[in-house]
Amino acid sequence: MIRFSNVSKHYPPNTCALEHVNLHIKPGEFVSIVGQSGSGKTTLAKLLFAEERATKGKIVVGDWDISSIHTSDIPVLRRQIGIVFQDFKLLSRKTVFENVSFALEVAGEERKRIRDIVPQVLKIVGLSDKHHRYPRQLSGGEQQRVSIARALVHRPKILVADEPTGNLDTIHAHEIIQLLKKINEYGTTVVLVTHDRDIVNALKKRVVTIADGRIVSDIERGKYLIS
Amino acid sequence: MSFLLSVARLGKFTFQNIFRNFWLSFITSTIFVLTLVTINAVLFMNVAAKAVLEAVEQKVEITFSFLPETSESIVTSAQGYLRGFSQVRDVQFIPSDEVLANFQDRHQADEVILSSLDELGENPFGHSLVVTTYSTEDFEFIREAMETPEFSQYIKEQDFTDYQLVIEKIKSLNTRTRYFGFGLAALFSLIAIMIIFNTIRVAIYVHRDEIAIMKLVGANDWFIRGPFVLEALLYSFLSTLVMVAIVFAVFGALQIQMTLFFGDAWQGTVDYFRDNAFIIFGLQFATLALLSLLTTAFAMRKYLKT
Repeated sequence: MIRFSNVSKHYPPNTCALEHVNLHIKPGEFVSIVGQSGSGKTTLAKLLFAEERATKGKIVVGDWDISSIHTSDIPVLRRQIGIVFQDFKLLSRKTVFENVSFALEVAGEERKRIRDIVPQVLKIVGLSDKHHRYPRQLSGGEQQRVSIARALVHRPKILVADEPTGNLDTIHAHEIIQLLKKINEYGTTVVLVTHDRDIVNALKKRVVTIADGRIVSDIERGKYLIS
Repeated sequence: MSFLLSVARLGKFTFQNIFRNFWLSFITSTIFVLTLVTINAVLFMNVAAKAVLEAVEQKVEITFSFLPETSESIVTSAQGYLRGFSQVRDVQFIPSDEVLANFQDRHQADEVILSSLDELGENPFGHSLVVTTYSTEDFEFIREAMETPEFSQYIKEQDFTDYQLVIEKIKSLNTRTRYFGFGLAALFSLIAIMIIFNTIRVAIYVHRDEIAIMKLVGANDWFIRGPFVLEALLYSFLSTLVMVAIVFAVFGALQIQMTLFFGDAWQGTVDYFRDNAFIIFGLQFATLALLSLLTTAFAMRKYLKT
């Protein structure tokens, strides 16, 4: 599904964000990428959805080598990878329904299909009854659910969540993680980037630990190892 | 269907861009209109000046007054001689009686002149030839042609109405107006370029969140850039429409006064604009749109990294 082969990412003049990263994520896996701030975990996520380009090495998603992806192909890649951020990135002037349908609108989907899909994903994230509300009328956890719903509308095979619980309290964070697990159970590969020890330990899923741009451990049903 | 839907959505985002920054859009369009109106004012002055010049040139003539004792056959021979030149538009023979009648008409209020004529008891005027040419620049040639001994000995005087000075003044004024107008149009064009650049830059800034999300969810590049391109085109189109309305409104409002002042030249100028409206305004729209698109492309390249 996802394969990083000897991937490095350097920023001028001499910052090394990732160094010789080798990683293989199988279809349907739930993988937590953990590490301290500045360890390179977010850079790894950005490489996955082509927000950044690798300086060296090869990244393959499915059968697609995205290491040298053409700019015009990036939108195609991003429709296959759902992305969730810590700060939700919702449009404040649009309702929940409009925020989710926006992703389909800009991809040129027909109205009928939008009317079919959006209620389905809102049901998955538990916001069917709040589709007409604006982001400011929702709690942080609900806003993150909208963000997850938007990431799901293209029915991606991979969901990358970069610190999705970073702005949430413990209860809401737990709800979001449960939702991600549910999505994973439906067959979507989930890559969770986090530095939340409790969440990682509670998940009991594969944990890849990054420190100073290098993978220092990769354990099935692992735990948060960094002190 | 999908294509039409995408176009409709592009249109929706474009109108959102315009109305969310209404005053900026208004100022941009106003500067565009000012630029176009200035260009059209210069064009109008140019066409009107040409029409006035033509009208003046048609009225300009040289009158050769022959000595009273010159026979009609000599004068008609001179008439034929002059008609042989390609520069000559027409040569009119005025018999001495008519010359006298015209003179009396012109001076009917002047008792002294009329009584002097009575005292003479006979017609002091000879026959005349009134020569019109295609261009005032040919007058010198005609005067030299009539210096031939065959006719010069019979010519009492030649009356060259001094329209040349008027013509030169109109030409000079037109040239100066044109330079000033083009200078003004260039200045407005420069301002228009800077304004559209800033408008697109601000639009990109205002929509930065939407753009970021569009990129995040896999919007095509043309879907992100399209609204800004359409916005620039729409400003050009609306400004051209407003300008056309202004131009014809001005024509309508000034019809009576300008016809009195310019005569047929005014109507000729209005007709020129009306007959060539599609080309004149179409070209102006195309130029403005091209200018806007280039500026927008530059602004997007600088501020919109997709």
